[in-house]
Amino acid sequence: MAVTLPEGDLNSRLENYLDGFRNRHGLEEAEVDGNVVRLVVKPEVLLAVLATAKERLRILHLSFITVVDRVGSFELTYELLDLRGGQVRVKTTVEGEEPVIDTVTEIYPTANWHEREAYDMFGIAFKGHPDLRRLYMWQDHFDHHPLLKSFEISTKRTFEGLR
Amino acid sequence: MGTVLQYLDQEPFRFLLSVGAILFLVLNLAAVFTMAERKTSAYIQLRYGPNRVGPRGLLQPAADVFKLFSKENLSPSRADLWIFLGAPIAMFIPAALVWLVVPFAPNAVIADLNVAIVFFIAVTSIGALGLIMAGYGSRSTFSLLGAMRGAAQMISYEVPLILSLLGVIMLSGSLSLVDVVNAQGGGFWHWYFLPQLPMFIVFYIAGIAEARRVPFDLPEGESEIVGGFMVEYSGMTWGLIQAAEFASMGLISAITATLFLGGWQPPIEALDFGNFNWIWFGLKTALLVFTFQWIRWSLPRLRMDQLMDFGWKILVPICLIWLFVTAGLMLLFPSVF
Amino acid sequence: MLSEERSKDIETDALSAPAAGRLANPDVRDEFGLETLDMSMGPQHPAMHGLLRLILELDGETVVRCDPVMGYLHRSKEKISENRMYPAVIPITDRIDYMNNMAMEYGYCLAVESLMDVEIPPRADAIRALMNEFSRIMSHIPSIGFLLLELGAFTPILYAFRERERIQTIMEAVTGARMMFHYIRIGGVKADLPEGMPEEMWKYIEGLEERLEPDFVDLIAGNEIFVARTRGVGKMTQEKAVEMGLTGVPLRCTGVEFDVRKHYPYGWYKNLDFDVVTDEAGDVEASYRCRIGEVKQSIRMIKQILENLPEGEVMGDTGRRIRPDEGDGFGRVESARGEYAVHIVSDGTDTPYRVHYRTPCTVNMQLLQEIVPGHYLPDIMPIMGLIDPVSGAWDK
Repeated sequence: MAVTLPEGDLNSRLENYLDGFRNRHGLEEAEVDGNVVRLVVKPEVLLAVLATAKERLRILHLSFITVVDRVGSFELTYELLDLRGGQVRVKTTVEGEEPVIDTVTEIYPTANWHEREAYDMFGIAFKGHPDLRRLYMWQDHFDHHPLLKSFEISTKRTFEGLR
Repeated sequence: MGTVLQYLDQEPFRFLLSVGAILFLVLNLAAVFTMAERKTSAYIQLRYGPNRVGPRGLLQPAADVFKLFSKENLSPSRADLWIFLGAPIAMFIPAALVWLVVPFAPNAVIADLNVAIVFFIAVTSIGALGLIMAGYGSRSTFSLLGAMRGAAQMISYEVPLILSLLGVIMLSGSLSLVDVVNAQGGGFWHWYFLPQLPMFIVFYIAGIAEARRVPFDLPEGESEIVGGFMVEYSGMTWGLIQAAEFASMGLISAITATLFLGGWQPPIEALDFGNFNWIWFGLKTALLVFTFQWIRWSLPRLRMDQLMDFGWKILVPICLIWLFVTAGLMLLFPSVF
Repeated sequence: MLSEERSKDIETDALSAPAAGRLANPDVRDEFGLETLDMSMGPQHPAMHGLLRLILELDGETVVRCDPVMGYLHRSKEKISENRMYPAVIPITDRIDYMNNMAMEYGYCLAVESLMDVEIPPRADAIRALMNEFSRIMSHIPSIGFLLLELGAFTPILYAFRERERIQTIMEAVTGARMMFHYIRIGGVKADLPEGMPEEMWKYIEGLEERLEPDFVDLIAGNEIFVARTRGVGKMTQEKAVEMGLTGVPLRCTGVEFDVRKHYPYGWYKNLDFDVVTDEAGDVEASYRCRIGEVKQSIRMIKQILENLPEGEVMGDTGRRIRPDEGDGFGRVESARGEYAVHIVSDGTDTPYRVHYRTPCTVNMQLLQEIVPGHYLPDIMPIMGLIDPVSGAWDK
């Protein structure tokens, strides 16, 4: 029941990943930067890209999902590691105030709580998620998503006068 | 003076005095054992232990008791109050009662029952009832789990406890503890722990389980069910449960010393102090209590299924085998035994 | 923000769907018509490593369902970080994983530095690695103690805290604080080691090397009750571990060799010679052995660093005002609990636009709802010891 991890030269492996993604999907941007394969994709193909990563290229580890509130749209970063020095960073942007995106829990089960956290903090709905409840905040009587830029806090300090 | 003593030896004064003595002994034992436990654990754990109240911290138990008395007795709002409050009493009384039959020194036994061993077995098993009452009456999942564990454990370990006594009963030919002690006179090589070594070990282990001490403290299991059956108790009701635990620990040690280590018998005849032989009894009991505490602060806890396996698959067979060995030896060499 | 109905819809959908950690038929009865017992363990519970609530469904003592509920120690680190200047976030990161603070600071500083044009002096790099390894020992040894504490043995935790106490004394001398260090700064470290400190550290490390075997191996590893309680408990396969996104000791104890220090090297770790400690069994006992092995590797690393401690400055030139370039900054370190990553999105001002902390505890804790069902209730405690989460780290 051993897991096979990739071997061999890092640079050729990264090129291999890049080709693998390029040949199968319509990518908006794709490049190798250091030990990172950077991809920018449309939300519609995200699931397919991650499936390629997991099933064909055997990139087994989903490190984290970051959501950035760009006010009007949300930028999601999926960071994948092949556990041997290579990284794949997939970015996608979802438009709108009530974003919906496909869940990746089918591909990476570890995304379960990452997505719950994103739902909790940003209100992003992950379509098909098995257990989409709030992770940190109250389950009921709390209708806010605190990491949105529209969620103001009272002690914001910018130190604009400092030079 | 002599007439006063004679007068006091009559009923009901004898009865009242005995009860007073037992209560004094048991309640003080709880205090002394608490102190001993805290100091032992402290030295095992590279600490000093309590050292602020009184000389070298010796008054700490008094302060503890005062604190317990001044605390409020809380009870859960949906608890079954009579059962909840009755449980500590139901646990304390059996633990105190068995001391009646323990011979402290030659002629120093409150009731020389000719069925003392049966009395001991019967009364200690009532303790399990108090435990179930506590767990059921507090109406909490944690205490319910603790009570179920406690009931299973106490009943299971009763079996090896009783079986391991049979060897001693066979050798001494009596159910009276006084007779058992008398039969072990004449030096430590006559004590029953030598011919009955496996039984001694089994009795000691089953005794730890009966006293609910680590590694068999599953009914409490403070890291999993947070105190188990006593999770809802506070103040003096909690103190009473605690006193019952310490009393039963002392009791198991005393009974072990009586049955297997010769009771008040001195290790060699030259050290016979006559009526002061209670020193030997006290020393043996204290040594056993210390080993209890030593084990308590060194070992982790077993799991419920492992506990049951250990009791039924290891302790009971050992007892049965050694019972046959003892019987066979007694048949073959009737002159030795 | 989602409209109210929509968020309700999503939640009810999710709640009605049968899922992992949720029983398909809540009204489950066995063939005797007996119901299961619901039990809420925590958030105030001595074995929950802080504030964790487990909703358990018990069939006797066997756990049928385990649903972790977290958020009781949520202090909105990410939101606070968005509203502070870059250097002022470091003390916030300290409080994420309060057992292993140095790694938290280190990850954040690496992320900020990846956005800036700043050269870290080699001495600062070496001191960072040095303090990180001390911090790891300071976290691993008590976590062994906590494992034993949860199994019912009280004494090892006090032996463990004796070691932690001694390291804290060293840390206090170096950083000025015993727990919340705020020592690693953007561009270097706060101050050089005090005079005579390397010798003190060397003395301590040699002492620890002597004490480690008798105090934490001989007293624990051979104990039959310890073995009975831990061997085979929480057992998982390599596939499961990788699938669940585990990192750190829970992953390595299944035999997958992954260590950020080795495979995504950062700072001074590129120059160090060390092994990734793995074990085959993938149960609680294996995780205990891994932790002991990692402490030994940390000792080895500290010795290497102290032998070749470079001379020079300890602070790079970051300019007076720290204002990283626009873009995404990443920092990834191996904390005592696994892969800790920080993702900073900068918009060119002096406060971060978004900071995301990937704490290993949050991810590793998903394991609870996967492997606890089927175990006995008392097995939850060693499994918690296997994951060894820290309340502050899973709740952020």
